[in-house]
Amino acid sequence: MKSDIALLAHLLRRAGFGANRAELEEYTSRGYEAVVDSLLHPERSPEVDDDVIGRYNLGVVLQASFAGEAERWFYRMINTKRPLQEKIALFWHHVFATAWYKTEHNPDLVRQIEMFREIGLSDLRTILTRLSRDPAMLDWLDNQENHKDEPNENYARELLELFSMGVGNYSEDDIKNAALAFTGWSFVQPIPGYPYGQYPSEFAYLDEEHDDSEKTFLGETGRFNGEDIIDIIVRQPATAEFISRHLYNFFVADEPQVPSWNQVPPQDPDAIKTLVDTYFKTGGDIRAVLGALFRSDFFKEATFRRVKCPAEFIAGTVKIVDTDHFPSPGLARLPAASTMMGQELLNPPTVEGWHTGKEWIDGGTLAVRVDFAVQEVSDSSSPGVRAIAERLGAQGRSVSPEEFVDICLDLIGPLEVGGETHAALLKHAREAGPLTFENGIDPEIVSTRVVRLLQLIVSAREYQFA
Amino acid sequence: MSQNRNGPPHALLRAGFPYVKTIGMIRTTPAPVDIAIGTDRRLYVLCRGREGGIFPNSWDDDYPQTSVAIGGKGTGDGELTWPTAVILDSEENLYVADDALDAVTVFDNDGGFLRRWGEHGDGDGEFDHLASIAFDPDDNIYASDTLNHRVQKLTKDGRFLAKWGEFGDGPGQFNMPWGIEVDAWGFVYVVDWRNDRVQKFTAEGEFVFSLGSSGSGDGEFKRPSGVAVDKDGDIYVADRENHRAQLFSKEGRYVEKFIGDGTISRSGRLYLINNPGPLRQRESTDLEPQKRFRGPVSVRVDDGGAMYVPDYGSSRVQIYQKEAYPLGADQIAPPQRSPKLYTM
Repeated sequence: MKSDIALLAHLLRRAGFGANRAELEEYTSRGYEAVVDSLLHPERSPEVDDDVIGRYNLGVVLQASFAGEAERWFYRMINTKRPLQEKIALFWHHVFATAWYKTEHNPDLVRQIEMFREIGLSDLRTILTRLSRDPAMLDWLDNQENHKDEPNENYARELLELFSMGVGNYSEDDIKNAALAFTGWSFVQPIPGYPYGQYPSEFAYLDEEHDDSEKTFLGETGRFNGEDIIDIIVRQPATAEFISRHLYNFFVADEPQVPSWNQVPPQDPDAIKTLVDTYFKTGGDIRAVLGALFRSDFFKEATFRRVKCPAEFIAGTVKIVDTDHFPSPGLARLPAASTMMGQELLNPPTVEGWHTGKEWIDGGTLAVRVDFAVQEVSDSSSPGVRAIAERLGAQGRSVSPEEFVDICLDLIGPLEVGGETHAALLKHAREAGPLTFENGIDPEIVSTRVVRLLQLIVSAREYQFA
Repeated sequence: MSQNRNGPPHALLRAGFPYVKTIGMIRTTPAPVDIAIGTDRRLYVLCRGREGGIFPNSWDDDYPQTSVAIGGKGTGDGELTWPTAVILDSEENLYVADDALDAVTVFDNDGGFLRRWGEHGDGDGEFDHLASIAFDPDDNIYASDTLNHRVQKLTKDGRFLAKWGEFGDGPGQFNMPWGIEVDAWGFVYVVDWRNDRVQKFTAEGEFVFSLGSSGSGDGEFKRPSGVAVDKDGDIYVADRENHRAQLFSKEGRYVEKFIGDGTISRSGRLYLINNPGPLRQRESTDLEPQKRFRGPVSVRVDDGGAMYVPDYGSSRVQIYQKEAYPLGADQIAPPQRSPKLYTM
């Protein structure tokens, strides 16, 4: 059975971006149920201090740059008291992947992420309705080109295939009719970016472009508009199953890639059923579904069964070393590293989003991950490394190599490692013998012993998993 | 001390403060944070966009850019990381405060690197996020030292002279000060960023008054950033997150606000005239928002009464011209305690 602190660490890795030991102790003192409740209600915790990031990353106030927003996002992941608010935004960014490279338009892309923060834990109807009115999404999938006399099916197709139901649960006619229902869903032409920078757009419903004729969609017939289509979508069992599987894949354990879901059944059908049941009982309330997920045994038992996505890997490592609580030029290293690891925030590769799980890892990205984590734990003066050294020093006696390894694995996670990794760590620790801090926390010992062991731990295979 | 002993005019007949013109565009003044006005209105626009640095320009709005930016991005001598303010000494050398480097870098006005001083710390003459600098009438420098929550006075070569301030929200206390200005009579004005106010001090740091409070109404601020004082003693504040500049009298009384009246600059016009796409898009939308300031970081004035607002979010500088006439004590009635309906 897992210790309370191990269970809270698991919860915070999934519902947030990890936590250092001092934070975990505070969470543990509150108890698992209370922490779940608090995570599900971000509005009960203070907002992250956006003032300072706005002051130092000047463009943030104006949503002027997607790269600046990625920096701000990492700052928020690391410093927020509302971790699930950032995590659910990242979840929907995975599912409703919208990229900068097509429009190169910053303000609306930034606003889309803000929208995910705002409504990401609400009900699916609200989420899909707001998504369907989002200028970044409408432009990304060409719905402003969806005219009644010249329909464009791109948005309607992806709404069904990738955003709600999944392949195999609707017909081509359903796509055509959904597309007609979304004719006229457009956005206002923003002022162009030259010569004075970009301006945000806003949703515009163009009645004269809307096809008001009778349509049949998923067996229902009427003069449907976009909202009606969403109403029908959110009532479908396929939708509940598809969204539940997305939640399972992101928060519980890696599933195969989304395009295979109509062929490969979920690894834990009972878990999906639990989530689907909650979905229907609560009118598609994502907060309630996530509550059921976090309180379930299948979640509590699923430790280290997901490969960390780059954002989780980076923010989680920074939380361990306990840095970046104040903006600095160095903050830019985080989105840069994420891009190198294959996840450029606000710029996913396609509408399908990022492939997850083991597909995050290849020879190149693994090297970048290891380099990044090793670099982050290498500063013996960082608060997180100092705190680990102080806890080792607080033993008040010589620490055996076995204890040294186990304490560091515990403080950096707690991280479960296999026998081979443990043996390698122990072999290294034994080479230098017991660890002693006879005269306080000697920086030399921190650098030569503690940092070195932490470097080896974060280089281990097991550290790649959440 | 060579302070102007005469003081500002007793009062002013305020005739108007019309918008004059816009200078720059996203290529020539990208994301400007400050501007210094040199001889013959030679303009030194400190920018964060592109690779950043000081982009020289002129009243005629040069386009294409006629000279390279001064101070490339970096941490070495002659390079800038997070530049926040540019000021000129009496020889028109350029002094640039850098928030990330905690240093002042000095260039000649052709861009030649002269020297750099300042380092991180909380000791005398050290900075923890150097936010802004201003010359006093004797060419000494006052600096706002953000996370030390204080003002420091230094020689123009960085030798420590004096300091005051601590964290707090009382008189003479600061919460992350940003912009700073010294008027012609030696008084020091500090933008107290997180307290949403501007404090005025004597040259020795004695508190005189505070103006502003949190909000979006007239005379209120939302995270203000810059301050300037003109030859009449009028005080200008860049009210950054309210996207405006505000004008106060020398006594700290709110006078008026500027929200931006931007028109197409010469450089903007030369760009647009060759670009059919943006021209058509401009015809398809409401252009009203383009007049307005977007997150102005700074406001500056020159001796001719012009006000310059580096319009950060719109990558341009908007210029206004003050029209006011000084009044002696014998030309204006004494302050009245109560309003009157009878007027002449």
